[in-house]
Amino acid sequence: MTSSKSYSSLTLIAAALLLASPIASAQQTIKLGMTTALTGPFNEFGEGNRRGVMLAIDEWNKKGGINGRKIELAEAMDDQLVPDKAVQNMRRILDNKDIVAIIAPAGSGPSLATMDMLEADGRPTCNPLAQSPSVIYPKGKEQPPRKNVVSMAITNESEANRLGQLLGKQYKNIGVIHESTAYGVTGAELVKKSIAATNPAAKVQIESYNQRSQDMTSQVARLQRSQVDAILVVGLGADFAVIRKNMSRANVKVPLFGSTGAVTAPYLEGAGDLAIGTRSVSPAAFGQRPLPAYAQNFVDQYRAAHGTDRWYGSDAANPQISMATVVGNGYDCAVVLLDAIKRAGSTAPAAVIAALNQTKGLPGVSIPSITLTAELHEAFKPEDLGLFEINKSAAGALYLKPVVE
Amino acid sequence: MNSTRTLLTKLATHPLALLVLFVVVFFGAPYLRGATLQILSFALVSILFTQSINVLTGMAGQISLGHAAFFGIGAYGSAIIAKTFGLNLFLTIPVAAVVSSLIAYLLSYPAGRVKEVYLAMMTLGFGQIFLEVAREWTDLTGGVMGLSGVPSAGLGTLIILGHKFSTIDYFRVLLLITACSMIFIRNFSQSRLGRSLFVMHYSELAAGSVGIARRQTKQLAYALSGLLAGISGGFYAHLVGYLGPESFAISRSIEVLVVAIVGGLWSSAGQVISAIFFTFLPEQLQLFAEYQFIAYGLILTFTLILFRQGIGGLLFLPPRFIRQTWLTTAVEQQRQTTAASSKTNEPQFLKIQSVSADIKVQEITMRFGGLVALNSVSLDIQAGHITALVGPNGSGKSTLVNIIAGVFPPTSGQVFLQGTDVTARADVEMAKMGVVRTFQDPRLVPHFTVRENIMLGAHAIMHYTWLEAGLSMPRVRLQEAQALEQCNEILQLLDIEAVADQAVESLPYGYRRMTELGRALLARPKIILLDEPAAGLSDVEMTRLAKILVKLKHLGITVLLIEHHMDFLTGLVDEVVVLDSGSIIFKGDMLGMRQDPKVIAAYLGDDEVQHA
Amino acid sequence: MDFFLSLVIAGACVGSVYALVAVGLNLTFWTTKTLNFGQGAVMMLCAISTALLTAQGISNGIGVIAGVAIVALVGVIVERIAVRPALKTAGSMGWVIATLGFGILLQGITSKFFGSQAIPFPEVLFTVQDVIDIGGQNISLQYVSIFVVSILIIVVLEGLTRYTVLGTAIRGTAQDMELAIVQGLPVNLIVSGSFVLSSILAGIAGILTAQISGTVDPAFGFELVLMGFVAAVLGGMGSSAGALIGGIIVGIIGKLVGGYISTAAEHGIAFALLIAMLALRPEGFFGRAEVSKA
Repeated sequence: MTSSKSYSSLTLIAAALLLASPIASAQQTIKLGMTTALTGPFNEFGEGNRRGVMLAIDEWNKKGGINGRKIELAEAMDDQLVPDKAVQNMRRILDNKDIVAIIAPAGSGPSLATMDMLEADGRPTCNPLAQSPSVIYPKGKEQPPRKNVVSMAITNESEANRLGQLLGKQYKNIGVIHESTAYGVTGAELVKKSIAATNPAAKVQIESYNQRSQDMTSQVARLQRSQVDAILVVGLGADFAVIRKNMSRANVKVPLFGSTGAVTAPYLEGAGDLAIGTRSVSPAAFGQRPLPAYAQNFVDQYRAAHGTDRWYGSDAANPQISMATVVGNGYDCAVVLLDAIKRAGSTAPAAVIAALNQTKGLPGVSIPSITLTAELHEAFKPEDLGLFEINKSAAGALYLKPVVE
Repeated sequence: MNSTRTLLTKLATHPLALLVLFVVVFFGAPYLRGATLQILSFALVSILFTQSINVLTGMAGQISLGHAAFFGIGAYGSAIIAKTFGLNLFLTIPVAAVVSSLIAYLLSYPAGRVKEVYLAMMTLGFGQIFLEVAREWTDLTGGVMGLSGVPSAGLGTLIILGHKFSTIDYFRVLLLITACSMIFIRNFSQSRLGRSLFVMHYSELAAGSVGIARRQTKQLAYALSGLLAGISGGFYAHLVGYLGPESFAISRSIEVLVVAIVGGLWSSAGQVISAIFFTFLPEQLQLFAEYQFIAYGLILTFTLILFRQGIGGLLFLPPRFIRQTWLTTAVEQQRQTTAASSKTNEPQFLKIQSVSADIKVQEITMRFGGLVALNSVSLDIQAGHITALVGPNGSGKSTLVNIIAGVFPPTSGQVFLQGTDVTARADVEMAKMGVVRTFQDPRLVPHFTVRENIMLGAHAIMHYTWLEAGLSMPRVRLQEAQALEQCNEILQLLDIEAVADQAVESLPYGYRRMTELGRALLARPKIILLDEPAAGLSDVEMTRLAKILVKLKHLGITVLLIEHHMDFLTGLVDEVVVLDSGSIIFKGDMLGMRQDPKVIAAYLGDDEVQHA
Repeated sequence: MDFFLSLVIAGACVGSVYALVAVGLNLTFWTTKTLNFGQGAVMMLCAISTALLTAQGISNGIGVIAGVAIVALVGVIVERIAVRPALKTAGSMGWVIATLGFGILLQGITSKFFGSQAIPFPEVLFTVQDVIDIGGQNISLQYVSIFVVSILIIVVLEGLTRYTVLGTAIRGTAQDMELAIVQGLPVNLIVSGSFVLSSILAGIAGILTAQISGTVDPAFGFELVLMGFVAAVLGGMGSSAGALIGGIIVGIIGKLVGGYISTAAEHGIAFALLIAMLALRPEGFFGRAEVSKA
């Protein structure tokens, strides 16, 4: 008698557990999704973003998740920054109705390719890196932004405004060399507008190059012929190094400025000592010493998880400036979304979006204070940028040193 | 293995099986997840795009390393027209495809003049130019910022005649168009034009010898290929809704080549499987992205060498280029007609209706650089006679035949056909005028059957267009059937009916010779020029050949042959002409030639016993 | 420095590297009528090997030699597994696709194991700041030395082919391979050798180009090989003098177009030249139109 009773109660308990667990786990985790360049030539950005997102998720889970529910990066897909692939991946992510929020790809190309489908879907999305204005404001700045998309990326506008003010005030004849990509083209255009607003008398000459060109003599020579008194490069590090070398060969010695993407490790490695003196407008976040507590916490977490790797830099005390906007922005994106979900008390898109639009003064890594409204979906402000100059440390390493204007 | 192949081929080509497949996919679409439907749509686009390579590279043998350009023209074209004029894709895609086809047609002009490696470079360069234009012409294409807002079902912006297209609707339209295109291509490949594309690759001279216009054939291949690529590009644009120039870089051209090669260069069925495989693989295997380059590299390096026929060759029987149902009917028909008539083994359609043709060659001189191949040669080739051209190697025999056939014009001198001056006319024209020739080395399409090779001869006799071929109009059936009947008569004449449906590459040399002769005959020659037809034949085959030549004479056809086999020529030829170092040293009959001292000194030698 | 002059000098310099690539392509074209469509990957491999080795602390000179040795080996491999079997079985298209595939394979392997990032390339020939004063103009020594090295190599090669027994053997094989075999020439060795030499030239071209730009990444080289094609076609396939002049013309025209018209056009002009040349005069400036008896 006892055995059959215990047998049946065991069965009951087993059944209850069996029934309970899948239901429990399926409803428990809050699922995020992303497609980005995890591998391939741009994986510096994509993998960096993913690490940032994972760091945020791990931290929040350690603190108990959201209302007892754990958070999970359910889909982390690889698109190598190829727009087609991003479209295919995003469709798969969007098909998964359990996904609650999405992190956009690490570049303008795939982001632009997937933004329309994300907007049509309506689930809250955060853009960590793509700087093209039409990612957030498809109809221009005068019109409302996409309802469900917010951005932690440096805005071309902020960067262009800072640079424009800087260059317009000090120089009269400015040369801008930009890469033939969405990032480069919009960046150059906006800088030109900003310079014109600051100093209508200033002349601006714009040249372009294809990524990975071997020799930029034509571009440099044309600027030299126009006798520019300053040069700005909007592009990425490796190409910036080529330009710097061409300038040296052509004996062009004017002040040199680089966009945020340009003064990265490949530039320092490629140009070597020639990089010294190059100025850039980069996120100020990591320039302060000591680092703000929030940022310090972030870099410590990163170092604990990954060590002083190529995203961090070799100097434990001085994480690379670029880490803020390659890893930090992924982190901030995840935090912003999770924070909104928490405040909304629900994962329903409308509620989360409403909560997003009420984000106020949320501390961030790349953006010290994140504020969003229904009209303002780009959290990055011009004040979040600081002026830097490349210096050589006592130990012989090149680094970005904050400069007071 | 062969029985599996036969079964699979039956399945893949059986109309009912294909219809069932179509219906299942068509009506099963709503039950698929959004992502699966989207990937299937991508796969269909890939299938269409691969067909453009099938036509240009698989069939016509023209390599293209820049095909992404035509894909791009179709994509941007359709997107730009749709956005600018608000027209729907049923209008914009055809227009864009026609533009792509036109540009491909234009490219065929410079491309048609160069071969192989130069063609590869040219197409590579062309692809790069397109990429640059797409990147820099910002006003038109959006430049590097790309073109967004392309009406797309996935975004709910595709509205046609008031009806909002869902992704399922779009998929169904795409499926329909793909299916129709595949049928069109299959019909095309089994027509005279499809066959002519193949011979362009293997021997342009052989093509010319039966009246296949080389330039027009290449133009057709390029134009059709451009059309298909344009259609696939158009559907791509409305699938993704956003176009960026980087989607049309060299990687796209390489991808489509990989798909085509793995599928099997002229196997549509294999390519369908390959396209589906390569579309799904990166999806299923996230790892694939990292190893993609390595995989593609391995495939391109080794497939053509190790695995030539691709998936198509592995799973299916070799595709055939004659419509099988028409063939069966025609063969039946011909057998009945022949049984009823009295003239067996003497194809009446070859009979010269009016007057037999003669050729007069006047003071022909041919110089190649410093070498004088022919020195003021004059010759009358009598109508309805069998004339032999003999002489030591390098005496100018082949050169004379080449000049008569129109392969190249003489440095000086004239050629008259039945009194008309035909000196400067090209080989294609000469063939159409009834001057057909064979080659010292049979130039056949190796993977074609004997029958398919012979059918090449009827190319200039049939007159339907590529459009009629693809749509399988009644005219096509009539003309093909007639040609097939005549082809069968020739097969019987040459006594090779038994091997008619075997691939020539698997047959011994003698059969290949006969096949080439058959091809020449199907072109309804008034004059047939044979370059060493007996070389490599056994005694039995030689006797048979001699009987055939006599029959041709009875039908009124003039025969000129280059030969070394003296025994073969004895009793066969009416006149023999001996060339030595570019000049004629003897004209007359065989007996006279044997005794002529000049001929003996230059060619025959002092011994009575001759061996070729 | 004078605008026009700076364009011409840079153009002549990059053009001389294109010429080097073109001469390398010519070599295999002579002996086998084939080209290595994956030559770009060979250039990349040499430059990346050198960069990686010097980053480990090995001296520049040894790094260069090691890089060149590695691609010489690759030359043997390409001929053995891609070209020879393709010529036997797959006809005209086979080797184009096989060599293209081999290049892609090399690129894939390199990026898998060394990452896709651009890595810095050491300054092997002078430094960026070194200049020489010619007629009042400051000209970068790097440009000058690259130009001189390329021309020197081409001249030496031309001399070798014309005036030595080895050169005669190569030319004999180029003219008539069957006859060469019958005469007892080690044809297999000569063919292999031509691929090795071609790869060495490509490798050196890769190093010189990496010198100009300062960084290498696995995708490096594809564009250069296209430029090499253009140079070879312009000058006439098979002619070293043609390759030299063709390369320099391409380089200079590219820079002049970029300087005077638009930097955007610089890129496409070479391909436009290629197509025009192939359409109008496929044998190039110095080649001879092929005459065959048919």
